Amino acid sequence: MITKRPLFYWVKTSNWKLQILLLVLIAIGVFTRVFPLEMQKRIVNQAIGLGKVDLLFLYCGLYLAAVLLASGIKFVINVIQTRLGQQTLARMRKELYAHILTLPMGFFRRTSSGMVVSSLVTEVVSAGEMVGQAIAVPVNNILLLLAFTGYMFYLNPLLAGLSLLIYPLILFSVPALQRRANMENKNRVDATRTMSSKIGETISGIHEVHGNGSYHIENRRFGEMADLLYRIRVRWNVYRYAIKVLNNLFQNMGPFILFIVGGYLAISGRFNLGALVAFLSAYEKLYDPWKELMDYYQTYQDASVSYRRLMEYFDDQPEFALAPLDRPPYHLAASVHVRDLSFSVAPRVHLLQKVSFDLKPGESMALVGFSGSGKSTLVHCIGQLYRYTGGSIQIGGREVHELTKQDLVRNAGIVAQTPYIFDGTIRENLLYACQAIDDPEDEEARSRLPSLDEMIEVIQQVGLFVDVLRFGLNTVIGEEEGQELHEKLIRMRYRFQSEFGEVLADDIEFFDIKKYMLYSSVAANLTFGTALRQAFNPEYLSINDYFLWFLDKVDLKGPLLELGRDATLQTMDILGNIEPDDLFFEQSPMEPDEFEEYKELSQRLASSGIDELTGGDKAMLLRLSLRFEVGKHMTGELHPELQDALVRARKQFRDQVQADHPDAFSFYRMSSYLPTLSILDNILFGRARTDLPGAQERIAQSLMQLLIEEDLLERIVEIGMDFRVGPKGDRLSGGQRQKLAIARTFLKNSPLLILDEATSALDNASQKRIQRVLETRWKGKSTIIAVAHRLDTIRNYDKIAVMKAGRIVEMGAFDELLERKGILYELVHGVKADV
Amino acid sequence: MSSSTESRQTSRELKDNLQLLMHLPMLTGLPMEPLKLLAYLCRRQVFRPGQIIFQEEDLDPNAYLIISGKAQLMLEHPRELKLIEIGELELVGGLSLFCEMKRIYTLKALTEVVTLTLSREKFQKTLEQYPDIGPRIFEATARSIIRWETHFVREHLSRCTECRERMGIPPT
Repeated sequence: MITKRPLFYWVKTSNWKLQILLLVLIAIGVFTRVFPLEMQKRIVNQAIGLGKVDLLFLYCGLYLAAVLLASGIKFVINVIQTRLGQQTLARMRKELYAHILTLPMGFFRRTSSGMVVSSLVTEVVSAGEMVGQAIAVPVNNILLLLAFTGYMFYLNPLLAGLSLLIYPLILFSVPALQRRANMENKNRVDATRTMSSKIGETISGIHEVHGNGSYHIENRRFGEMADLLYRIRVRWNVYRYAIKVLNNLFQNMGPFILFIVGGYLAISGRFNLGALVAFLSAYEKLYDPWKELMDYYQTYQDASVSYRRLMEYFDDQPEFALAPLDRPPYHLAASVHVRDLSFSVAPRVHLLQKVSFDLKPGESMALVGFSGSGKSTLVHCIGQLYRYTGGSIQIGGREVHELTKQDLVRNAGIVAQTPYIFDGTIRENLLYACQAIDDPEDEEARSRLPSLDEMIEVIQQVGLFVDVLRFGLNTVIGEEEGQELHEKLIRMRYRFQSEFGEVLADDIEFFDIKKYMLYSSVAANLTFGTALRQAFNPEYLSINDYFLWFLDKVDLKGPLLELGRDATLQTMDILGNIEPDDLFFEQSPMEPDEFEEYKELSQRLASSGIDELTGGDKAMLLRLSLRFEVGKHMTGELHPELQDALVRARKQFRDQVQADHPDAFSFYRMSSYLPTLSILDNILFGRARTDLPGAQERIAQSLMQLLIEEDLLERIVEIGMDFRVGPKGDRLSGGQRQKLAIARTFLKNSPLLILDEATSALDNASQKRIQRVLETRWKGKSTIIAVAHRLDTIRNYDKIAVMKAGRIVEMGAFDELLERKGILYELVHGVKADV
Repeated sequence: MSSSTESRQTSRELKDNLQLLMHLPMLTGLPMEPLKLLAYLCRRQVFRPGQIIFQEEDLDPNAYLIISGKAQLMLEHPRELKLIEIGELELVGGLSLFCEMKRIYTLKALTEVVTLTLSREKFQKTLEQYPDIGPRIFEATARSIIRWETHFVREHLSRCTECRERMGIPPT
């Protein structure tokens, strides 16, 4: 298991070809570092000393070659190290992630998701990168140290011995100082913390300070702390500088010994000048590998500590094997036999006790009881989400304990109480459970995935059809969808206006050339058309010279710049001091990713008038005002006079553009398709009002019949399937998420269906609808175990088990239990509400 | 900020919203910044006469402050029962801002009703931005629940022994 591996396992299993290549390069590298020293000696002694120019050129050439080679090799070594480190990091992340996903549910109850995120994102980094250096750095630096000292001894053993004497001194004194510095640092942190809490306290109680006029008391208390912190900080810094100075001193002491001893030896003729120069270089070069080794030791310590902590944290066993190794997954008959089942989370804390029941394939059972009675726990045990601690559960005659995950997911579908929807399209979420069963690489498996018709059928069953239709209607379709669809939409537009135009007049703002449209943007209001050339797209209009010229001509530029300024300042007034969530931009013409840019602009606006802005800044203001929608945006205000002016300019714009750029726009006309607008807007030839709750539903209902007649219903639902639900499905409502979760389980068509309060987030009508589907389509085909949260849905189940305190206290058919006048009777006739 | 720039910086609708929210008991004493954010995040909605604003048993994540019009609070189960009428400046469904819950009654527009609507998601995202205001709002909310409970105890408890005992009042 990954968590049992020591850090060095990753070194051992890293890419050995690269590691060996690295070692070879290091060996060459060490040579290229020592070689120039020898050249130095020869340049001084033989070339300069003897005055031989040819030797000077030769040795200098060799020197240069060695230096170039050394740099080249160093670069390659770094590249290889990085590769090794990053490879290992990726491997560690992938394996750890795979391991974490299989950990038991209990683990995730005591672990925050933030912890898992930081572990995988940041904490593995030091360990992973460590592996890249694990062999190369120590080997390289030790070899370098040996080579340099060896060379020094080769030049002069006495001098070498003397100059190396300093190192033990460093080894002794620096760590001692470091310990003191660390201690002072700890004191500093403590003192800072005390001071912070004192400040916090005083500020929170400031009314008391003002009330009592006790300023001097507070100042005295704070003063004491500030003084203490002052003393600690001085000591801490003194130690830190002492270490620095000492390090430097030792570093510079070396040459001193060299000069005094070496100089004396040279003068007395026992040591030549070239050797002295080479010795000096060697000595100075000693420092780098030494320092790198020290650093390496530190990183190694840090990395191994954090690695150990990380692995200990996730050191838990998965409760079930993922897939069978020696056989294909089972196809089980969906009989369920539970005998004396118990589940304890701690000694004598039993969540389930002595639970027994039998279900034949196709039978259905509802679990009822007060919350906390163990209903969910029971279905979690059956669905392998918990590992039961006693007794037995058999599905199709096989013990659930011994089944692998693949066996179970093939035979059982589970809808969780609070289902989770992942980022992606509706279609991807629908197929999530089906795809999990099969290997995605397997061509044949992919062909077994449900067809579009099957998907549409289940979304109808769960009552998600109209929602998906609406998503489809709100989609802007691309060119590739083709002429034929466009024509159909235009045909629908005429029919819609004649059949529903009056009924829905309040819900829709139709495109009307004489009126300002409150639910369309300023750009759409002014151009009253959609651009055919990119330069005339709404987003580019603010930098389109022709358009700017026109705005000037009709005196609209000034007012629109002011609108943009107001929108900018107001948005910043509200959102400027926080880190706004994307959701906060719904009612502002500003996009979340433009926030920082406009924040800077708002600072410039504070000090200068609009006229003083640069052209780029003005374009930014115009961009906002052209997006502004009266019915939607809260920051900025478009006065009726300006609305009228825009309507007046509309006609001028059309005439002008038709004369100057006839191919730039497709103007809103009943008879033409409007690209860049959604399917819905195209059919409506207008916009649905957003402030009227229910308007969208009423429109969708009216459209349904027309869509069927034009044979477009399925096509548009299919487009709606590609709607992206957002992270955690947050673009869906709670009910839509639950319906989607039920649909994805229904689609799996598994012999055993487990529903854990699957309809709790749904309104009454949707609940009844799904109950009806269960009773008509699933009953008899699949075995159903449902945790019920309402008593009016359980009447038609074959068996009803009433749970209390982890036990089944009553079991039988609905009428039978009512006749018995036991607990179910009490539940039904006593507390009417939720059970 | 001087008042002249203030007026330029805030649109009329935003100012109106702010005024409305400031006087809600649930939001009393909040600093200006989060109040402004909430005022900005509210939406105005128009309901037609007879339209259901929310329905008993529905999961509706919104709180509604009625700006104009009248609405009927009613029960539909086990049989239809009219409760009180809700009018201007009354807040309905404020508790849905805190957690997902089913409506325990239906609210139906009697006239055209304009509401200031705030969704739980937006409210909770505001709390994330201004965590300090959470405790204040909880306190104000708890206070109004206590006030309501006290009222309830005084009005009804003499008639219901079980209720009295549940509330910790000894039987008479």
